[in-house]
Amino acid sequence: MAVFDLPGWTGLAPALILAATALVLFVVDSISPRSTNRAVLAGISVTGALASLAVAVWFIAAGVGQSGLEGLGVIELFDGGAEFAGGSQFVVDQMALYFMIIVAVVTALVSVASYDYMDGHTYQAEYYSLMILAATGMSLMAAANSLVTIFIALELASLPSYALVAILKDNRGSVEASLKYFLIGALSSAIMVYGISLIYGATGSLQLDAIASELAAADADDYAYDGILGLGILMLIGGFAFKTASVPFHFWAPEAYEGAPAPISAFLSSASKAAGFVIAFRVFTTAFPLEVTAGLIGIDWTWAFIILAIVTMTVGNFAAATQDTVKRMLAYSSIGHAGYALIGLAGLTVDGGELVMGAAMMHLLVYGFMNTGAFLFVALAEYWGVGRTFEDYNGLATQAPVACFALGIFMFSLAGIPPLGGFWSKYFLFTGAIGVGSTAMLVVAAALVVNSALSLYYYSRLVKAVWIEDPLVDRDALTQPTGLYAAIVFAAVMTVVLLPAFGPVSETAIEAAAAVI
Amino acid sequence: MSVGIEHYVLLSMGLFCIGLFGILTRRNALMFLMSVELMLNAANINLIAFALYHGDLTGQVFALFVMALAAAEVAVGLGIILVLYRNFRDVDVTVPTTMRW
Repeated sequence: MAVFDLPGWTGLAPALILAATALVLFVVDSISPRSTNRAVLAGISVTGALASLAVAVWFIAAGVGQSGLEGLGVIELFDGGAEFAGGSQFVVDQMALYFMIIVAVVTALVSVASYDYMDGHTYQAEYYSLMILAATGMSLMAAANSLVTIFIALELASLPSYALVAILKDNRGSVEASLKYFLIGALSSAIMVYGISLIYGATGSLQLDAIASELAAADADDYAYDGILGLGILMLIGGFAFKTASVPFHFWAPEAYEGAPAPISAFLSSASKAAGFVIAFRVFTTAFPLEVTAGLIGIDWTWAFIILAIVTMTVGNFAAATQDTVKRMLAYSSIGHAGYALIGLAGLTVDGGELVMGAAMMHLLVYGFMNTGAFLFVALAEYWGVGRTFEDYNGLATQAPVACFALGIFMFSLAGIPPLGGFWSKYFLFTGAIGVGSTAMLVVAAALVVNSALSLYYYSRLVKAVWIEDPLVDRDALTQPTGLYAAIVFAAVMTVVLLPAFGPVSETAIEAAAAVI
Repeated sequence: MSVGIEHYVLLSMGLFCIGLFGILTRRNALMFLMSVELMLNAANINLIAFALYHGDLTGQVFALFVMALAAAEVAVGLGIILVLYRNFRDVDVTVPTTMRW
């Protein structure tokens, strides 16, 4: 196959294509700075995102990251040559490609939807180039294999996001949201980099495999650095919690998602969350093997994730149930879903756990479609100017049945109603958590079921408002913006189609999880 | 060498705690940015001290990256504070509470 002939650095092609797309957008912007030619700008970013998606799918289908006869093996990049045993800075394996696919899909959907949403906005080129730059950072996070590259990629994803949230410069909500997002983001990245420095102090290395071998070589009975190692790991978890919008750094999420332009809320809550999870998965499976780390610091780090998973899903779902505005409800539900995905780390055991981690990866993929779609429906409602509360959405189905049917699919899939994609990923998470067998994981599985049942209440409340209630005021006829409609319908179709296609998806996810554990 | 590694770590922890205290108590967004800078620099002290301790340059190089990222973060942060001032006529972080719009 042709892949054999490609040099190793092309393994990062999905991220490199996104970076090149951002540069093309800059060039267009510098040629005609005030251009508001949305077709060209949105077209470029959609093309770039789709190219990145195509390459990532091609790589994963061709067997990059698979071991064995038909596989092409894991691509290790920037390992400093044979004489330097530091290990690689980037690694392109199945997990990296899987998350690159999620990021590229969400970016494409959001770019298509932004074509209509950003109509009449002055800073078109800036908007698209910032979004593609953030997507580049998220794509690189998927492949980063050293605390250095993880931190730099994370900042590359975060800094454009702060600016994107504030892109509606004269809108007080947008600016306020951006301020809160930035302040908490800056604090959590400072905490995370301090944690990295402590881990560097304890192990003398920043590359994940090198940290693991350093810890494995340490003498568990006479280990002098247990304190700073434990504190460092705790601070790292803080950084991940921010990126994935989990407790205790979840405060920014409702504000930022509510104030930001709705396509950006979709982008942040799907792609950015997935990227946060991939670095958490990689760091904790590669750098801190369960048995060795527990022997050195005296406590099993899965406990931290068990507690965080339960608290995050409970806080997210209970807060979502009490909201009046749709966007804020979706923001809290997004926190709840971060709690579900955290089960992937909570369920790891010394000799396994690929089933739960694979299930968490599946959930993040399905979530990438259903949650992006739900936020894009809010974008559509904002485009129509119908208002923000549940009551304002009353009776929309009579005027826009197609979009409202898609909304029903998203809501029931988010709640986990059987025939839809969201049910299957939750089902795998549940069986995986039960399969681990410990009492704590049974509690986590029970929390998953209880929270899903609760979530059905507020998701169906939105469906009821849209389909059953009568409108409070008479509305004018609603337009049908092509881009937003296309993105919503595509997301809905994918949420349903993932059901028959779940075989290969779950196979890939579990295989990818097994490869890193 | 009379200054051991523990002194550096104590210094950096002190600096980190000053920064954290500043974030928790200050209401001015600019002071907030400065406090974050203190926390990042505390990490830099750690990285460089540990690089010397381990006889390895990775930490020093990473400290350079952290400085560059801190500068980038401040650039974005000042931009956000500027639009904050234009919209709210204030840089007090407790003033913007319009989220129920």
